[in-house]
Formats: sequence, C-alpha cells, structure tokens
Amino acid sequence: MRFMPEAAWNTTAGRFRRASLWLGLVGVLAFLLADLEITTLSPGTELARIGTGFLTPDFAATEFVWQALANTLAFAFQGVALGVVAGFVLALGWRFRGVRAFSAVIRAVHELFWGLIFLQITGLSPLTGVLAIAIPYAGIFAKVFGEFLEEADARPATALPSGSTWLATFFYARLPLILLPVRTYSAYRLECGLRASAILGFIGLPTLGFHLETAFRQGDYSAGAAILYLFFLLIGTLRWWLHRHLLPLYLGAALWWAPPLSSAPAGTLWRFLSEDIVPAPLRQDGGFEAFMQWCLRLASEQALPGLWHTLVLSSAALLLTALLSLLLFPLVSPRFGSPLSRGLGHILLVILRTTPEFLLAFILLLLFGPSMLPGIIALALHTSAIVAWLGGRFTLQWPARCDGATGLRGYCYEVLPRIYPNLLALLLYRWEIIMRETAILGILGITTLGYFVDAAFAEFRFDRALFLILVSVLLNLGVDAFSRRLRQHLRLSLNEGRTLARLPGADTTPPRGAAP
Amino acid sequence: MDVLFSFRGDHLYQGARPVLTDLTLTVRPGEKVALLGRSGAGKSTLLGALRCQHATQVAWCPQDGALVPMLSAFHNIYMGALPRHGVGYSLLNLVWPQARERQAIHALARQLGIEDCLRVSIDRLSGGQAQRVALGRALYTRRPVLLGDEPVSSVDEHQAQRLLALALSQHDSAVVALHDRSLALSCFDRVLGLRDGALVLDAPTSGLTLADLDALYA
Amino acid sequence: MIHKIRARLAAALLLCVTGAAHADTFVFTAIPDQDESRLMTRFGQVADYLAAELGVEVRYIPVKSYAAAVTAFRNNEVQLAWFGGFTGVQAQRLVPGSRAIAQGVEDPQFISHLIVHTSTGIEPSDDFPLALRGKRFTFGSRSSTSGRLMPEHFMREATGETPQRFFSRVGFSGDHSATIALVQSGAWDAGVVNYKVWEQARAAGRIDDSKVRKVWSTPPYPDYHWVIRGDVDARFGNDFTDRVQAALLAITDEALLAAFPRQGFIPASNEDYQLIVDTARSLDLLD
Repeated sequence: MRFMPEAAWNTTAGRFRRASLWLGLVGVLAFLLADLEITTLSPGTELARIGTGFLTPDFAATEFVWQALANTLAFAFQGVALGVVAGFVLALGWRFRGVRAFSAVIRAVHELFWGLIFLQITGLSPLTGVLAIAIPYAGIFAKVFGEFLEEADARPATALPSGSTWLATFFYARLPLILLPVRTYSAYRLECGLRASAILGFIGLPTLGFHLETAFRQGDYSAGAAILYLFFLLIGTLRWWLHRHLLPLYLGAALWWAPPLSSAPAGTLWRFLSEDIVPAPLRQDGGFEAFMQWCLRLASEQALPGLWHTLVLSSAALLLTALLSLLLFPLVSPRFGSPLSRGLGHILLVILRTTPEFLLAFILLLLFGPSMLPGIIALALHTSAIVAWLGGRFTLQWPARCDGATGLRGYCYEVLPRIYPNLLALLLYRWEIIMRETAILGILGITTLGYFVDAAFAEFRFDRALFLILVSVLLNLGVDAFSRRLRQHLRLSLNEGRTLARLPGADTTPPRGAAP
Repeated sequence: MDVLFSFRGDHLYQGARPVLTDLTLTVRPGEKVALLGRSGAGKSTLLGALRCQHATQVAWCPQDGALVPMLSAFHNIYMGALPRHGVGYSLLNLVWPQARERQAIHALARQLGIEDCLRVSIDRLSGGQAQRVALGRALYTRRPVLLGDEPVSSVDEHQAQRLLALALSQHDSAVVALHDRSLALSCFDRVLGLRDGALVLDAPTSGLTLADLDALYA
Repeated sequence: MIHKIRARLAAALLLCVTGAAHADTFVFTAIPDQDESRLMTRFGQVADYLAAELGVEVRYIPVKSYAAAVTAFRNNEVQLAWFGGFTGVQAQRLVPGSRAIAQGVEDPQFISHLIVHTSTGIEPSDDFPLALRGKRFTFGSRSSTSGRLMPEHFMREATGETPQRFFSRVGFSGDHSATIALVQSGAWDAGVVNYKVWEQARAAGRIDDSKVRKVWSTPPYPDYHWVIRGDVDARFGNDFTDRVQAALLAITDEALLAAFPRQGFIPASNEDYQLIVDTARSLDLLD
C-alpha cells in the first residue's frame, strides 16, 4: 500500500486468494477437530510381509483371474455406455428442476451401495454390476452434459429458419456443438468406470476387486500384488487401446461375454419396495409413534454423528488434497522436468489413483494406528493424483514463452496463477466424491455415514440403509449447492467435464481462418 | 396496396434497453431495402423485429453467420431447408447426404463460389467462405423475404456486388443491413438510415448520393 | 473333465443364471472361516461329490461376503449354503421353511480368542481382562459370529457395557487374518478371532509371541452350519433334503473336509441356534 496509496488492489487473483484462505481455514479447523492420534507400535513385521509380497507378485495364485479381468472390463463398458445414454436423455431436460434434483440424488449414492441394493433385486448377476455403475454415472453425465448444452453457443439454433422441428434443430444445430466434449468426458469417465467396476468385487461381483480384497484381507500379499499390477497395467495402457473406432467392438464383446441379465427370480423388486425398505416399526404394525421413535433413534445414534464425522473427515481430506495436488501436478506438466521425469510422474499418478483407497488405508492403518489420519491421507493421495493428473494437462492451455520464467519462479508467476481457477473448480467438484468415498473406511473404526450404511446392509436392514442414504444424499446436495454458489462467486463456470473439454487435444480443430 | 412490414410509433428493445424509439415504418412486398447506420445504431434489433412479424416468410441471414462450426458447409446450407423436410429425412441426410440435396446445394454453391469447400467443416474455412455458407443457408430456405445482417461484409467489393445481386434476384422482397454505402446505392431501391435510436433517413436510392449517406456516420 | 471345467468356468463368469435357465442344477455356496483363496477349485470337488451322491447337476458359486451369501440364498440363486451362526440365522429368518441340516463336528463347541498386543501388559486369565478399558479394539467382519456377535455378547456380560463405551475405539477389520495382523502391528491394542484361524496362523508361523498373545477365550457357542431351502423337495424330489443331509454327514474324504475345514459333519436343526437368535436380538442386530 505504501507504493500505491491512491488505489486499492482489484485483481482476480485476490478474489481467489481470499476464497482459498477461507477454504483453507475450514480445512485447518477440520484438522483441529479431527481425531489424529498416532499409535503405532510394531508395524515392521506386517509391512515387511507387504513389501515382500509386492516384490514377489504371484500371478498364478488367483484362480480365474483373466475371467475377473474380462468381467471388470465388461461391466465397465456396459455400465458407462448405459450411463452415457441415460445421462444424455436426462441432460435434455436439464432446465427442469426435477431432473436436476433426480440426477443429484442418484449420483450421491456410492456405486457400492447401488451394488448392494441391486444385489437384492437382480441377484449376483452381470446386470447388478452394470446398473451399479450406470445409475450413478447417469447422474454425473446428466449434470455434465446438461451444462455442456447450457453453455453451448445458442446462435446457430436461433439462426435456423422458423418452422424447423425441435428434433431436427437439436441434431443439426445443438448436438454437433457438444459432441466433442461429450466424447472426451465419456472417455475420461470410462477410466473411472473401470475402477468402479473393479471395486464392485468387494461386495461379491466377480471382478478384479473380488480377488484383490480377499488376498489383501487374508494377508496373501503376493497374490494381491499380482492383481494390483494387472490393474495398474490395464489403467496405465488405456490410451493405447481405447480408440473411438474400437468402442463398438468392445461394447459388443462386453455384451457377449457378460449379457446383462438378472439371476434373481421375479418379484424381488416388489419385495424390496414393499418389504425390505419399509421401516421396521411400520412393517411390524408398530404405528406412527414407534416409527417416529425409530427415526429419532436412528438420527441421533447414527445419522448425526455420521454427518459430523463425514464432514470433518472430508474437509480435512480436501485441504490435504489441495496441498498435494499443488505439489504433484508439476510432475506431469510439460512445463517442468524432462520427458523421463514426466514418464515417472505419470506412473506414480496412475499407481496412486488406481490403488483402491481401502488398500492405502490399510497400509496407513498399520503405520499410524486407527484414527482419521489414515483415512484423510488415503483419500487425499487418491484424489490428489486425479486432480494433479488433470492439472498437469491444464498447463498446456497457453503457448509457452521462450523467455518465460522456469523452475519455482515459473511455477509461481506463470503456471499457478493460470491454472489455479481450474484446480479450485476441480477440488470443489471432488469434495462430493471424497464424501462418498468415506464410506469405505469402516476398517478404521471411523463412524462416517458410510460406516453406518455399510452396517445396515450387513444386518439386512435396508430400511435403515435407505434412511441413512437419504441423509447422505441431503449432505451431498448441500455441499453441491455450496460449491455451486462459491463457483458463481468466483465466476468459475467450470465443472470437471467442461474443464476437460477445454483441454488441448480435446479440441483439435484450428481456429477459424487459420487454414484455407 | 399490401403491407409486408409495418411499425407505428413502436419502441424496440434489446433486452431491457430501448434501442429504437417511436419507430414508424412500412415496407411493401417487392421492395428491396438497404439498412444503414453506425454499428450499435439498432440495425440488428430492427431486423430481429422484422423477422418476428413474418417468421414463416423469412429467409434469415444473421450477422455472425451463427453456423455450426464442426459440420460441413453442405450441412450448414441444408439447414435452411429443415422446415421443408420431415425429421426422418433430415436425420438421414445428416449421416448420409442425399443425392437430391447434394445436387441442389452444389448448384447453389457454384453460384456462391464455394463449391470446392462443401465437404469442409466451417471451422476450417476462411471468414469470407463461412459468410457465403451463411448466405447459402438463407437462399436455400427458399422463402420470399430476405432479411440479411451484413451478409457480405467479409468478401471483396467486386464479389459482394455479385453475391448481393444474386441474393436479391432470388427474393421478392429484402431488407439488408450494410456498411458499404455504394453497395446500398447500386443494388437496392430504397435506403433506411438509423441514427441515435431513430429512423432519420427513408428515401428511394434514385435521389440519393454517397454524400447524403455520409451524414449518418458523421 | 473338460466339460466339468467349462461348466465351472461358466459358473464363475456369469455367476449363476439359475432358476428358469437351469432349473435342474442344484447350487450351493460356502465361505470358509479361513483361507478364502482358490474357492472354485476347492469347492468344485465338493460339488462333484454331491453330484455323484445326489444324481443331479451340482454347482458351486463363490460368494464374497456373508451378506452376499444370504442374499443369494434368499433369492434362490443358491439352495444350500454353509453359513456362520449369525448369517445362518439371518437366512432362516429371511427364507421361511429353510432348515439347518448339518454342522461341523467342532461347531457346537466353537470359541473365540481375545488377543492383545504385548505392550498392553495384559496376561492370560480365565476372566475377561477389565484392564482393557479405554484401549483400542477391533472385531473381525461385522456379521461374523466368531469375530463379532458372540464375543461382543460375552464381553458385554463381563463388562456390563457396550464395547463402544468400554473401549476408546472400536473397529471392524473385516477378517480374522486382518485382525491378527493389525493387533500384531499394534495398530489396535486388542481384537477377537475365531480359534481355528488363530491356531492355523500359529501353525503357519505368522504369530510373533513377543508382540501378540491370546489372553482370554469366550465360553463355547454354536457356529457354522449348512442351511437348505425349504422348497428343494418340491423341485428336486420328495426326500431331497434328507438325501443332501445324508450326503453331507457321509463326507469322510480328508480333501473334501479340508475345504471347510472341519473334521466331519453331524446333524443340526434350527433350534440349535436359538442362543444366536437371542444374542443377535439383544445386540440389536435383528429386528
């Protein structure tokens, strides 16, 4: 101020700094409130066994591992394809509040919980795997595609001669405008779908996660490491085998390999709706009084503590994710390092974002003992690997100056100010997802909402599970509304999909007039 | 006598902002009208209001082209014909261009001088080529009234004259916003001049000189 | 042989398109209380044995969790299942008419061990060590009888409070092996495990006596048993339930018994598990 006594600072960066400061303070507060006790005594033996396991992967230890791999692919392809179609249909009605709310609700429920629900209705069948992915993904796609449509240039459609039908207008003057970002985003989601498909093995579907979880849970680390390596390979090589033109082939193969049929007898859907999810007091004719008591008890013993712990854990994890992302993204940014260091950086990020969080949490649990700390670190490592990977790609958005600053100065002056809005938007978007993922941390004994949902499913109390799922849906809606408002305040018209769509490589067409 | 467009002391708005106030104007069928005025004078607003009066009669050529960048010139021109055809035919033509449309659009494109780039998407064309595609879309609408907003601003003077003559010859009536005053005098039979939110000039071209028109921009 | 392998493959891949598609195939599942690796291979032998004894096509499908096993049983995707005590009771309640028909020789007298990290300084005793108050404690899987239900019941009796109050922190490791590994590492101060898993881990040399020790054992309780659906007689023949029971009780082949692992099977009935039902109710695990 000494140098500019006459004018106050008025910069976009300042706005971002203030918002980040507040978010950071929330994160710090969460860390202060979180239970971070470190109580490790003798993790050496087990860690040595894990280390040995990773050095001596045993590819022959798991039976039918190739079939599990094929199932993982089949469920992911079918689930994502169905999600794209359903999400697209929903996106057409994006201006209706009801459609937006419906999409928000279905995407707020974790794939594993959808899987557990469909297990009751469609049995241990491929259909369960496909729907468990397709339904939450439809909600995600609806939001992203709906916003693509909202943001697309409206002028071509209004320039059409009056009398053009709605359908023809859509296919000629709306759809072509968003086709490319839709394709880019769908391809990105396929990677997420593969992870989700593998994770569905945890509840008993025959994907890689089935054997992975068993092996690690039972301490058979060599077998587990082999499956994990296989999975790394699958994700790491995605860009070499996932071509648009091969998609119909893959999808056809997926349908042939695991036809999406139900294996449950008829009537399970009705049984689920008319018995399973009816609150116990009503089912047993306990009357309204008993029902209210049931609700109150569930709310005070599970929903409220669950809400609180979920909020604290996810806020702390979000702060750590932000810090780690800022550290990690230069690893894969072409503005920093050498081709070799970037190659290694890519491998590191693939490993971090592909390793299931529960596994990270288990290893960290051995290191730190049970508290929120392993959960926070596991979630942050996983999420920051995704954010950093996307962040690295943002740095390609502007032309490099040959006289530009490099190293730390380049990072602070050239790179960070430019990609910060994107990073912040991504982090806000990821908050929802971190919250959903806290569900899988039951091993740490942290009573998040997901912990109680998990317990309700194990006890075959779908009424309770549904109640708690509804609470977590409300939490998600709240967080979504908050981050939307913050994004508006910061004028971040960005979500994950739109951000991706703007990346170089997503749009390969030269600017108008550049080529004859 | 018939009246095509008419305003009687109307106010025209751009959103909530009044652009033209107390506008009184009549355009009869068969008239070819040039619309002049500085940028921001309200030409586009007036054209939009004209379009609303006879939407189903109008072949529309907006200022920025408003083309679909990733589709070919062929498909963008075809969009002019969307009201003429059923949805099924149009969707079929989107994935599999129909011979009938190809012939008709090729003939039109040759007149416009863009027959070589029909299979190229708009984002790969030059500004002048894209503008001719937008004009082609309006012509392919095949409706009696042409409303154009700077339809030839990106092509050279000689070409502009030819294209404008072509476009006018295919429509009974036309109202076209221009910035080239000599084009207005050579191709049209009436000139409207806008300034400061009002219609300040309305005269047949026969009695006008370039100097008269300069007053609009002073 | 090739035909059998292919049949099993199909089972593993598509799980089971039971019911209408293969009305004549008798399907069972089992989750052993230790070593869940290579389930298809190990229980494939059991399926072959049952097929030979019963004269119908028999298939095994691997199931991940107790909850998934109960669901499959409820949906008639499997007709026979080897359940833990609590999950068996859940299945009996969800499928009216289903019956417990056999249990392992060891199962009527099953026990769990309380294990602690040596740093707690707690010594073995006949009574539950109340010095564990305020320590960190982990169960195994949520719906495990030996890793959660019965130990929690006996601990509540001994301490007079819920584990959540008695201990500073309570977790669910998800598995007996994980419980041993985590207590041995000191991440948790104490945990409960199925005695058979503990003995097997000892035999395999996975236990470091300087780090983890067994300090208390629960009183005996009934655990694992075979449950069969009530409608199998109508589908596979009048005395089918009895024939399945006879076939199970007649298993003497060590290789087959090793899959479970049990020394042999003896008859069982639903009434044998009343203690489990009562306990689950008192722990608010059953409505």
